[in-house]
Amino acid sequence: MTKKILVANRGEIALRIIRAIQELNYTSVAVYETPDKDARHIRIADEAIWLGDGPRCDYLNIEKIIAAAKKSGVDAIHPGYGFLAENPDFAKACEDNGIIFIGPSSDVITNLGNKVIARQIMADASIPMVPGTQNLTSGDAGLQEAIEFGKKYGYPVMLKATSGGGGRGIRRIEDEASLVGEIPIARAEAKAAFNDERVYLEKVVLDPKHVEVQILADKEGKTIHLGTRDCSIQRRNQKLVEIAPSLIEDKDLLDKICDTAVQAAKASNYFNAGTVEFLLDKDLNYYFMEINTRVQVEHTVSEMVTGIDIVRTQIKLAFGKNLSFSQEDVQIRGHAIEMRINAEDPQNNFMPEGGKTITTYQSPGGYGVRLDGFAYQGYTIPEVYDSLLVKLTVHGYTWNETVDRLKRCLTNFVITGPKTTIPFYLNLVQDDEFRKGDFNTSFLDTHAYLFEYAEQKSEVNKIASLIAEIHHKQENPYAI
Amino acid sequence: MERIVQGMNITEVIKSIRKAEGYFICNTARDLSQSDFKNRILLHTDLLAAKAREKANYFALEITGGASVHVDILRKQVDPFLKLELLREQMPNTMFQTLCRGVNLFGYRPYPQNVIRKTVKEFAKYVDVWRVFDFMNHIPNMQAVFEEVQTAGKILEPCICFSTGPEHTDDFYVKKVQEILDVTGEEILLCIKNHGGLGTPKRIGDLVSAIKQKYPELVIHYHGHNTDGNDVGRITAAVINGAEIVDAADHAFTGFYGPPPILTVIDTLKDYGKEAEGIDVAAVIETSEVLRNEREHYEYFESQFKGFSPTVQIHKLPGGAMGSSFEQAVKGEFLDKMPDILHDELPKVQIELGNYWSVTPGSQIIWTTAVSNVLGGDRYGNPSGDLKNLLLGKYGPFPFYQPAEWIYEKIFGENWREILEQEGGVEDIEDMDIEQERANLTKRLGHEPTEHQLVLYLQHPNDAVDFFKFEEKFGKVYVLPPSILLKRGGFALGDTLEFKDHEGKQHILEIGPEQKNEESGDWNVYLNVDHHQRMYTFQEEIAAGGTAKAIELSKEEIEELASVGDVRAPFSANVSDIKVEEGQDVAVGDTLVILEAMKMQTPVNSEVAGKIEKISTDLGQALKPGDKIVKIVTD
Repeated sequence: MTKKILVANRGEIALRIIRAIQELNYTSVAVYETPDKDARHIRIADEAIWLGDGPRCDYLNIEKIIAAAKKSGVDAIHPGYGFLAENPDFAKACEDNGIIFIGPSSDVITNLGNKVIARQIMADASIPMVPGTQNLTSGDAGLQEAIEFGKKYGYPVMLKATSGGGGRGIRRIEDEASLVGEIPIARAEAKAAFNDERVYLEKVVLDPKHVEVQILADKEGKTIHLGTRDCSIQRRNQKLVEIAPSLIEDKDLLDKICDTAVQAAKASNYFNAGTVEFLLDKDLNYYFMEINTRVQVEHTVSEMVTGIDIVRTQIKLAFGKNLSFSQEDVQIRGHAIEMRINAEDPQNNFMPEGGKTITTYQSPGGYGVRLDGFAYQGYTIPEVYDSLLVKLTVHGYTWNETVDRLKRCLTNFVITGPKTTIPFYLNLVQDDEFRKGDFNTSFLDTHAYLFEYAEQKSEVNKIASLIAEIHHKQENPYAI
Repeated sequence: MERIVQGMNITEVIKSIRKAEGYFICNTARDLSQSDFKNRILLHTDLLAAKAREKANYFALEITGGASVHVDILRKQVDPFLKLELLREQMPNTMFQTLCRGVNLFGYRPYPQNVIRKTVKEFAKYVDVWRVFDFMNHIPNMQAVFEEVQTAGKILEPCICFSTGPEHTDDFYVKKVQEILDVTGEEILLCIKNHGGLGTPKRIGDLVSAIKQKYPELVIHYHGHNTDGNDVGRITAAVINGAEIVDAADHAFTGFYGPPPILTVIDTLKDYGKEAEGIDVAAVIETSEVLRNEREHYEYFESQFKGFSPTVQIHKLPGGAMGSSFEQAVKGEFLDKMPDILHDELPKVQIELGNYWSVTPGSQIIWTTAVSNVLGGDRYGNPSGDLKNLLLGKYGPFPFYQPAEWIYEKIFGENWREILEQEGGVEDIEDMDIEQERANLTKRLGHEPTEHQLVLYLQHPNDAVDFFKFEEKFGKVYVLPPSILLKRGGFALGDTLEFKDHEGKQHILEIGPEQKNEESGDWNVYLNVDHHQRMYTFQEEIAAGGTAKAIELSKEEIEELASVGDVRAPFSANVSDIKVEEGQDVAVGDTLVILEAMKMQTPVNSEVAGKIEKISTDLGQALKPGDKIVKIVTD
C-alpha cells in the first residue's frame, strides 16, 4: 500500500516536501489555517485538512495535527522548518502515536535544543567551541568566575541566560565594569522570564563568517556530509543569501570543518538530516555554534551542488532505509546561490509587505535556475505569516558564472504589488566585494549603499495603470 | 514684411503692425477648445499641430489662460507650464497669448495682490501676449496684472468687454479706452472682447471706427465668437474700419460657439482688398489636415446641440459658456426649461442685474441665478454667495445702474441698506502668506514643491494637489493621444496602443482580458506592457455597470435634518472650505462649510446653535445631495 505523509507546515517548504512525497509516489496531506485558504500548498497536495482559524496557533497545535494525521491515516509527518519542527514534544507525540516523525528522535531534539547539554556533548567529543564558562556559580563566586573569564579571553563577551533562546536573555558586555553591573540584573531577569536564574558567558566572535555543514545520517549511524554552505549575508541574524560551497580557499580547512560536523552529529547520535553551524573568526578559527535538527531553508544550494535530494532522502531515512551512497560518492560540482525573495521593503528596515496582492508575477527560468515558491499572480499575501515568497537558487560551474546567472534572473524577475527584496539583491550581485566572495555577517551593516536604489515603478508602468483604469471604468475618471 | 516673432518688445511689435498694410490673424486655439470642446483639446493634439502652426506665421497663438489653466490640471492632467515649454520647443518664433481675467486671474473670484503678481511673473516667462479683461470693465481690477506684464517686458493687451443694449454706446467705450490708457500708457494693443459674438457687423464696424477716430495710432485686436454664425461679418467690418488683428481658428476643429475658420476670414477680406499679413495659407491648410483625424476622439465633449445659436443676441451667453450650459441642462434634467431660461429669464436677469458684461465670472452669476430662478420658482430666493458679493459691489461698481431695491431686499432682508453700507464695495483682499502656503504644500506633497507647483497651488489648492498626486501615480500622461486618454467604452481585447513617454521612449501596450475574481469580487485587468504581462486590480464597487445606487434624500428630508443639526449637502458640490472644527460652538447663521458647484460658491450655514460633534467631509471632497457634512449637538 502506498504511504501517506502529512506535511505540518505551509508556504514554500510545504510545497517542497509535497513535491518530494509525490515523486516517491506517496500520498501527501496538507494542513492549513484559514488565512492560508488560498495558499498553493493545499491545491497541490493530494489531501488538505483544515486545522482552524489560526493564525499561527493551529500550525503550532500538536493535538490538532496529530488528530488530523490519525484521522487521515498517515504513516509519517514531515515538520518542515519553523513551527513544530524543533519541538521535541511534537516528535514525542508522533512517536507515542505510532506516526513516523521525519527527523531525529525527540531525545536528540531535546538534547541539541538545550544549549548547555549540547555544549557538553560537543565538549566531550572535543569539538572546538567558542570559549565560554559553565553556568556561573550563584552569588559572588559566579561574579568572580566571570571576571576571570573576561581577563583570560578579553571583551566583548556575551552574557546568556541558560534557559533563554531565540535571542532572548542575551546581552553583550563591553568591559569588566559593565560585567559586574549586568550579571545581577541578568540573573533577576532570567529568574523572572524563565524561572531559572542561571547565566553563563561566551566570548564574542567579531564579524564572523557563518559556515554550516549539511549532514545526513541513517539509523545504523552512517553519517555523511554534503559539504559546506556560507550564510554570512544576514540582517538581524536572519539569513538572506546562502551559497554552497563556502568560498574559503583553504580546502583542507573546509574538509576539517566537514569532518568535525560529522563527528558532532555522531556524538549526538544524530539521525536523519541536520545542519551543524559554525562561526569562523578572522583568523579562520572555527567554533561549533549549534545543530539544527531539521531541514533548512537553504538546503536547496546543497542539493544543487551535490545532486542529492535532501528531502527525498529524509523521507527514505525516516522509513528505515539506509543511506545508499557513501561520503566518497558525494561530489561538489560548481557553485549555488540562493536568495530569499521576501515581500519586504529593504529601504524601510525590511518591513513586511503583508496584506498586499501580487499584481504581476513573472519568474525567470532556464539553465541552472531553480525556484521554490508558492506565490502567484493575484495572490494576496497573508499578513500573519513570514514574508518569504520564493527562493531563487541558481547553479553554475564557476562562481562568476553563478553570479552572472543570478543577476540575469533577478533582472528578469518581475513582482509587482508588494515591494520585494529583488531590487536590493540586484544591487548586491553587482557589488565588487560580493563578486569576490568577500563577506561576513557584518556585510549589510557596512554596505549601506546597497539600500540605495530607485523604486522600480517606471513611467510606462505608471501610464499603463491609468490605461487599465480607463479600460476598466469605460472612461477616464480623471478627464470626465 | 518683417515677421513678428517671440522675443520682440511692445515697441517693436507695434512698429511692425503699423508698418504693415494688411491685418494680422491670431489663432485662438484655446478659445476654440474652451467654447466648442469644453476645454478638452489635449496638449498631444496641439503638439501634433505645432509645426504647421509655426509655419503659418500667426500674430500669436492663444494657447493658455481663460479656464484652460484650471482644466489643464483638473481634467487634462497636464502641467500648464510644461505645456508651454513643450510647445515652445516646437514653435520657437510664434508668440504665445493668454487670456487673463484680471483680479480673477485664471479662476472665478478675486485673488490677493501678491498671488496675482507672483502668478503673472511666473507665467510671463512663457507667455508673450497678455490679453487682460474684467467683466465689470473696472480698470483697477486689472491694474496689478497690467503692471506685472509691463515689468516683465511682455505685450500688454487690455480689453474692453463688449455687449449690446442702450447703455453700450460708442461714447461709453471710447471713455473706457481712455481710462485704460491713463493707467497703461500708449504702448498697448487694445482688444475689443466680444465674448458673446454680439452685435451686427455694422455695430462692430462703428465701434472700431469710433475708437480709431479718437485714437488713430492705437492697435485694435478684435476678438469675437461665431455663436450666431456671423463673426466673419463682424471681423470683416472690424478690419475694414481699421482693426489690425483678428481672431480665428483652424477649420478642422471649428464648431459653433468659438472663433470662425481662419481661411474663411482670409478669403472674405481678400475680396475687400485686405491681405492677411505674413500668413502661409498652405500651412494653415496643412494644420487642419493634421488635426482632422483627431476630432472624432473629442466628440463626447462637443455641444449636445449642433447648429449656430443666433438667439445669443437675446441671452448673451459667452461662447465659452454655451457648451457647458447645455451640458448642465442635460445632467440636471432641465433641458425642457432651456427655452424659458435662455430667452426669457436670462435677458431679464441680465437687465435686472445692471446689464454688465456676461463673461466669466459675471456670466456664471447671471446663468446660475436665472437657472435657480426658473427651477426654484422663487426668483432670487436662493442666491449664491457670488451673487451676494456682486450685489455688494465686491467685484467692482455697477457700470450703468444699480439693481433694483426689491432684489436687495429679497436677498439681504429688510436691513439690506445697512448691510450694503457696512459690507459693500471692493475689498482689499489681504495678501496671502506665500511662505506659509509653501510650507502647507510641502506637507501635503511630502516634498518641497517647485515654483510652478506653488503658483498652481495658490490658485487652485485642492485641484493642484490632486494633480500633483495624479502625476506621481500615473506619470506624465500628456504623451497619450485623445484616442487613449479620452477613450470611452473601453478598448477591445487585443488592441495595441503605442506611445512615447516623456523621456521619448517608445512603448507598446496590448489590451488583455478582464476577469472577475468571484470570491473577492475584484476585477483583474491584464495588459501586456512592452511585452510583459501586468495585472491591475479594481474593486467591485467601482466596477463598470456595477455601481451601487446610493440612497438619495429628498430636499425636504435634507432640510429637516439640517434643522436638527445633521447638516447634509443640499446639492452636488465640492467642499471648497471648512469653516469650523470639531468641538467648536456655533450659533444660528454661522457658516459651516462653503460648497462650490458650477464654479459658484455657496455657504452652508448652521440652522441651530450648538457644538460641532463631527465633521464628515474633507476639503475638496465631491458631495452628492444628502451626503453628511457636519453633525451639531444642539444646546
